[in-house]
Amino acid sequence: MNKLVLTPRGFSSIPLEADVISPDVFAGKTVKEIRELKIHYGNREVEMSEYIHVQGKVAETPEEQRIVIDGDARHIKYIGRGMTAGRIVVQGDAGMHTGSQMEGGDITVAGNVGDWAGAEMKGGLIRVLGDAGNLLGAAYRGSSEGMTGGCILVKGRVGSETGSFMRRGMLVVEGDTGPFTGVHMNGGEVLVFGRLGKRAGAQAKGNGGFIASFGGAEEILPTYVYEATITPNFMRLYLMQLAGNLGIERAAGFIGAPLKRYRGDMAVGGSSEILVAEKVDA
Amino acid sequence: MSFKHNGVDIEDTFAEGFSMWGSRIIITAASKKWANTAATAMSGFATSVIACDCEAGIEAELKPGETPDGRPGTAVMVYGFSKGKLSESLLGRMGQCVLTCPSTAVFNGLPEAEADEMLDIGKSLRFFGDGFQVKMRMGDGWQQRRRFWRIPVMEGEFLVEEKIGAKKAVAGGNFLIMGENQDATLRAAEASIEAIHRVPGVVTPFPGGLCRSGSKVGSTYKFLKASTNTPFCPSIKNSVKGSKVPEGANSVIEVVINGLNEASVKKAMGFGVDAATWVPGVRWITAVNFDGKLGKFKMGLRDSLEAI
Repeated sequence: MNKLVLTPRGFSSIPLEADVISPDVFAGKTVKEIRELKIHYGNREVEMSEYIHVQGKVAETPEEQRIVIDGDARHIKYIGRGMTAGRIVVQGDAGMHTGSQMEGGDITVAGNVGDWAGAEMKGGLIRVLGDAGNLLGAAYRGSSEGMTGGCILVKGRVGSETGSFMRRGMLVVEGDTGPFTGVHMNGGEVLVFGRLGKRAGAQAKGNGGFIASFGGAEEILPTYVYEATITPNFMRLYLMQLAGNLGIERAAGFIGAPLKRYRGDMAVGGSSEILVAEKVDA
Repeated sequence: MSFKHNGVDIEDTFAEGFSMWGSRIIITAASKKWANTAATAMSGFATSVIACDCEAGIEAELKPGETPDGRPGTAVMVYGFSKGKLSESLLGRMGQCVLTCPSTAVFNGLPEAEADEMLDIGKSLRFFGDGFQVKMRMGDGWQQRRRFWRIPVMEGEFLVEEKIGAKKAVAGGNFLIMGENQDATLRAAEASIEAIHRVPGVVTPFPGGLCRSGSKVGSTYKFLKASTNTPFCPSIKNSVKGSKVPEGANSVIEVVINGLNEASVKKAMGFGVDAATWVPGVRWITAVNFDGKLGKFKMGLRDSLEAI
């Protein structure tokens, strides 16, 4: 893969909106053309080179393009927005809307990521080694569908409304989640290895969607009905995938573990599931 | 015309294979015992389409590391004359023999890339859930997309893959082992079956893989479409016209092989014939064909031995 290194020229309290930072936009251009791409600094349109130093090799196709952001990028919004292929590595924090509406490729953030990361994501993989903000993989306000595909892995904690209006795809959080995880969820999978926050699955309808918590739950909404404690075979497939392909080793410890099954949200006639591991110290 | 292999006369002829639709599923369970129990039940009464709805057999036992859910498994192959017949057989047999068997799950064993068609078997079985079945989606947008159904059952949950792969396959690979007595012939046939099961992608649908009552088309009775293969019955070899049992042979066992492709069937025939020739008392090995009138696959015994 051809590597292009982007170095932010210092931190700015005024955000940069740079949805051009994408293999799809960069591929086929010259370095000079990339430096001249327009981004927003506050309400002003500027050339990218004014705030971000660009050097390296540009690929002919997005699939062959690797973008490394070397430095603090927590003020840079929309990194990798809508990308379909290639790879972005952020060697620090990343700003809001990182990987929003992306369709393919992968993004790795070594630090934390801001709110709305992976919002309305359709495909690809986002890996966050730190914490994620609110509305991870969520639907934008007014939209009826959040994530419809792809996978987001967060090593740390996540904020509120993670996976809101989720339709398909997979969200994995190794730390704790904030309130309203999977609110309005209508499909997709949320797997939490920390503690599941309050009001999880509120207004979730089902459609094969579930929230699984292997680190206990703050509470289960009264509109969820406890059914039984089971060891469903399907969970083995997810846990084997997490342990074998995605490097989440602790998942292996829960293969075959009994799970308390709650079904709801009855408030909306839902058939979604919340599965909570009976023992959290596996 | 014949040739020698390990000192045994092999008739230089061919087995005549014909086309069938084949599928492969993987049954997993809490233990090897239950995976095999389900597989044995599912592949029962499926020796020949002469009188069965399909032909089926156990292809292999799979270790936990070789199955999708990390449990012990058994691979079963089912063959039918058409996609429709195959679907019916799979649905009926999976519904009655695997869904009912404790702790089992069913996965597609023929990937879409290798299949000619994907049959909606799990998608049909789901209705057993009476509205409480749950669709399970995996890999959307980032990995290979897979679909399963989770069906609530009294014991817990039955997991079944939505689609099962099927392809145009080859049936009717065969060879006949002729020995000087029943004991030697049976031992040779057993050795053949053991060798054949080292080849992936094939099954031997008859009991234990062996058929001691091969049939010919038609009968002296008008109501019977198949009858005992008189030219190969040693006990009447001097009474029947055109007997094909050579001097010194007093027992004949047929091995029938179905496989996902011609090369696998041919290879399995080769391994089977070779294994049989090492058993003392085997006099003659031949194959059944209908002069090319039955099927399009001509799998020569000489070629099959060269394929191993």
